[in-house]
Amino acid sequence: MRPILLQGHERSLTQIKFNPEGDLLFSCSKDHVINVWFTHNGERLGTYDGHNGTVWSIDVDSQSRFLVSGSADNTLRLWSVQTGKCLYKWEFPTAVKRVAFSDDDEQIVCVTEQRMGYQGAIRVFNINRDGDGSNQSKEPASFFNPIGSKAVVCAFAQSPNLLITGHESGKIAIFDAKTGEEVQNNERAHMDVVTDLQLSPDRSYFITSSKDKTARIHDTRTLMVIKTYSTETPLNSAAIAPLKPYVLLGGGQDAMSVTTTSLRQGKFETRFWHKIFEEEVGRVKGHFGPINTIAVSPRGDCYASGGEDGFVRVHHFDESYFRAKPYGDLEIED
Amino acid sequence: EDAAEESNVSAELIAQRKRLVDEWNAWRIRCRDEGPKRKGKENGKKEEEKEEIEVWIDEVIEQIEEEVVE
Repeated sequence: MRPILLQGHERSLTQIKFNPEGDLLFSCSKDHVINVWFTHNGERLGTYDGHNGTVWSIDVDSQSRFLVSGSADNTLRLWSVQTGKCLYKWEFPTAVKRVAFSDDDEQIVCVTEQRMGYQGAIRVFNINRDGDGSNQSKEPASFFNPIGSKAVVCAFAQSPNLLITGHESGKIAIFDAKTGEEVQNNERAHMDVVTDLQLSPDRSYFITSSKDKTARIHDTRTLMVIKTYSTETPLNSAAIAPLKPYVLLGGGQDAMSVTTTSLRQGKFETRFWHKIFEEEVGRVKGHFGPINTIAVSPRGDCYASGGEDGFVRVHHFDESYFRAKPYGDLEIED
Repeated sequence: EDAAEESNVSAELIAQRKRLVDEWNAWRIRCRDEGPKRKGKENGKKEEEKEEIEVWIDEVIEQIEEEVVE
C-alpha cells in the first residue's frame, strides 16, 4: 500500500470524512481549520476558514454541495463545499461535539457539550436547500436533553426521524428525533465512553469504538451486539470497509499515558479485523501518536487515518487487497 | 480442500467459519427484507453507485518520500 501523507494541519485531527464519490476527503482539527483534499493525489483543494476553536466534527451531504461543522467556539456552521464560503452560523451556549447529515440531506443533527449549568443537548435542524443555502432557520426543528449519561456521538438511523446516540457511559440509544423520547437503549453496549459511530451504507447496522478497547457492530433496529472486536488499546475510531469483510480500528494510549509506559505499548497502528470472524488480519503503521479518526472511501478503494500527530495518511489499496481471500471462498453479504 | 491447504487450518475451524458466515448472511438478508423500504428514487441511485464501484480504475499516484525518525 502506497501511503500519501497530507500535511496541512498544525494540530491533532478530530475527524475525517470522504464524500460519497470518494474523490474528496474532508478533515478537521484542533487548529481551527477544515481542509478538503483530492483523494487520488493528496493535493489540497481548499480550506474552510472561520472557526475560532477546535473543530470537533464535520459531515458532507450526499451531493457534495454542503458541508456542516461543529466547533469548540460554540458554533455549528454550514459551508458551500465548492466555494469554501460559510453560508450560515448557529450559536449555542456550549461547544458542538458532533454533527451529521440525514440520509436525504434535508436535516442535520448536532450534539452540544454539557458545561457550566447547561445540559448536553441534541438539536435537529431542517436544511433549506433552495438558493445558495444561506437562508436557514435559526430555530431547531427539535431540541432535547437526553437524561442520564451525556451523548457524545450521534447519527440518523435507517428509519426517518430516529437518531442513534453513543454516550459517555458506554450506552447506545435510539431517540425519536421529533419528541426526544428514548425509544430503545443498550446500557451495556460498552464499558467506557463511546468514541466513534459509523453506519453501514444501508444504515441497517453500525460500528462503535470505545475507550474500553473494543469495537462493536450493532443492529440498528434492535441495538443488539452482532460482533465484538477486542483489542489491547483504547480505541478512538472504527470504520466499516465496503466490498470486503473488514473493519478498521484505530486508537492508542493518549500522549499523557504513553510517557509513563513503554513506547511499544503506544501501538499507533490501524488494525484490520475480519468483520465476521472477529480476528485481526493485519496492521498498518505510520502515525507517531494515537489515531483519532479513520474513514474508508465509500468506493472501497482506499482509506484514510487522522492522528494526534497532526497528519492524515491516505492508503490506496493494492490489487492484492482485492484479490486476497484469506479465509477461502466464502460468499459474504455486504 | 484447497481452502484447507491454503489457510492451513483444521476442518473444524473451517466448519466454524462457514457457520459464522451463514449466520451473518442470514441476518443480512433478514435486515434487507424487514428493514424500512427505501424510496424508489434512492434505490435507483444506489444501484448506479454499485455499478461505478465495479469499474475500478487503478491510478498511479505520485510517490512521496518520507523521512522516518527512529
